[in-house]
Amino acid sequence: MLTVKDELQLKNITLNIRKKILRQIKAGRMGHIGGAMSIAEIITALYFKIMRVDPENPDWPMRDRFVLSAGHKCLALYAVLAEKGFFEENILDTYGSLGSKLPGHPNMFEIPGIETNTGALGHGLSIAGGMAMGLRMDGLQSKVYVIMGDGELAEGSNWEAAAACSHHKLSNILVFVDRNHLQIAGRTVDVMSYEPLDERWRAFGWSVREIDGHNIRQIVEVAEAFPFEEHKPSVIIANTVKSKGISFAEDRADFHYWKATDEEILRAEQDLLEIERRLKG
Amino acid sequence: MSELKDPRKTFGEALVEVGELYENVLAISTDSSAGSGMTPFKEKFPERHLEFGIMEQGAIGFASGLATTGKIPFVVAIAPFVTSRPFEMFRNDLGYMKQNVKVVGRCAGISYSDLGATHQSLEDIAILRTIPGVTLFNPGDPAEIKNVVHAACEINGPVYIKIGKNKMPVLHQAGYPFEAGKGVVMRDGKDVTIIGTGTVLSKAHLATQILEKDEIDVRLIDIHTLKPIDVDIILKAASETNYIVTVEEHYLAGGLGSEVAELLAREGVCAKIKMIGIDDQYVKSGPYEELLSLYGLGAEQIAQTVKKLLL
Ligand SMILES: Cc1ncc(C[n+]2csc(CCOP(=O)(O)OP(=O)(O)O)c2C)c(N)n1
Ligand SMILES: [Mg+2]
Repeated sequence: MLTVKDELQLKNITLNIRKKILRQIKAGRMGHIGGAMSIAEIITALYFKIMRVDPENPDWPMRDRFVLSAGHKCLALYAVLAEKGFFEENILDTYGSLGSKLPGHPNMFEIPGIETNTGALGHGLSIAGGMAMGLRMDGLQSKVYVIMGDGELAEGSNWEAAAACSHHKLSNILVFVDRNHLQIAGRTVDVMSYEPLDERWRAFGWSVREIDGHNIRQIVEVAEAFPFEEHKPSVIIANTVKSKGISFAEDRADFHYWKATDEEILRAEQDLLEIERRLKG
Repeated sequence: MSELKDPRKTFGEALVEVGELYENVLAISTDSSAGSGMTPFKEKFPERHLEFGIMEQGAIGFASGLATTGKIPFVVAIAPFVTSRPFEMFRNDLGYMKQNVKVVGRCAGISYSDLGATHQSLEDIAILRTIPGVTLFNPGDPAEIKNVVHAACEINGPVYIKIGKNKMPVLHQAGYPFEAGKGVVMRDGKDVTIIGTGTVLSKAHLATQILEKDEIDVRLIDIHTLKPIDVDIILKAASETNYIVTVEEHYLAGGLGSEVAELLAREGVCAKIKMIGIDDQYVKSGPYEELLSLYGLGAEQIAQTVKKLLL
């Protein structure tokens, strides 16, 4: 259940996440902006409403697990972990500097709260499946949440994992596909189409839902209804906009990785201030 | 001739032993559990065997995830399919993530001598050796297979165990001194050191007996742990004997011989080394023993190579 007050609070936190993503880019002068911004609502809903995690006790055995299969979206993960209190916020300002604890793809040994070392696309779902299996063996209620990119789905290893999750009836796993329709080289349908996406997942034995990935209420309500079917893994195809929130970068493949100029950063900050004004007003 | 034992059967027995010792040991197969020696484990612990079908990359990833929940998965399959094929999964999901997964490459080397290069693994050590934190075992006899399986469970981290297909002679007495990361001096000598590993340790051992007849005093070292390798035993051999000869069923590039040469170069030690292994080629097809001889890995050929060095 999500009250209107909860919803507003989650929207405010999402804004903080976007600000923290930008803050890291500002520190490092570059970074994977597009895919981080497109999952801001999803990752906020997960960490602030859906998942059971404890920043004071990051290795708590009963915790839910989060696997960022598309590791290049890690600016969003760092932002949400900082917002949640897993580490000191000022570490965000070290992004891009020598020996930073925040490499361009996440490392579980650098900061607490990171569960996997991803970055090479197409690894996360197998690891997540193994986690789900192990948790189930131990009789734990913990769930495993995964975020994947839509371009990432071209990696064959994902479909090995998808088959194994359904064969082994891992109903404790929920995947979000960040369907921002873009990857490095352009539109996903043009580069390597995996449409119709919902039917493909269904054919692999998954229970599928489709949502607006920027609508926090929808995210929470659908995620709270997981598992969607008994004995089946669940997937949410979340339609999103790459670089959401940064007006000049939205839905543009060339902002997959952003080498930011001072002027662009200023404009981006103004965009986020504008969102803040609208939220308050 | 000493007693011969099937390496996969021996591995299967060892898996049951560690299964009894550690309740979190799991067996993961990819459509070949029987061929991987898992049948006794499956019968004893059916709920601890997980089948993944022909999905080696996925199986390594799942094993990594299982290990994050405290399990000790053993992933066992034909060597190239759990080493070169899922190399990136091995590197990232096991190595970089430091996960407690044991990968067993069976029928390794050219032991599938009639199945062609697709089923052989002459580069597994070379590639896995580049992954920081992975322990590499290449046991040289049945007793050692058991020892390394037990040792693997005592190590909290990724381990690769390489075993062959053909029956292996028993070389070590029960209770011989085994320690992970430490070589075993099987015969002391001062003219030349032969360092053998894995399936062809027995050939090196036989070669030593041939050389004895010519009054050549051979030191024979068994290197069962290829990473971390026993530095001291090699440096000692370099200073105390005139030659070091390495013997392995692996490409010359990146295997035991490379390791020894790199080690000596790193330490700035000058020594005469001869590497016996397979050079840059896909091997011919044929009976295993005949192939080994063709590539200089038969006992006679090893002895000949050593004699030529000393002449
Ligand atoms: C195995 C692998 N190949 C290539 C890359 C390089 N790469 C990083 S992000 C990316 C595009 C990903 O697209 P998508 O999954 O749609 O994520 P988005 O950028 O939209 O967040 C590529 C090709 C990689 N990280 N891993
Ligand atoms: Mg995309």
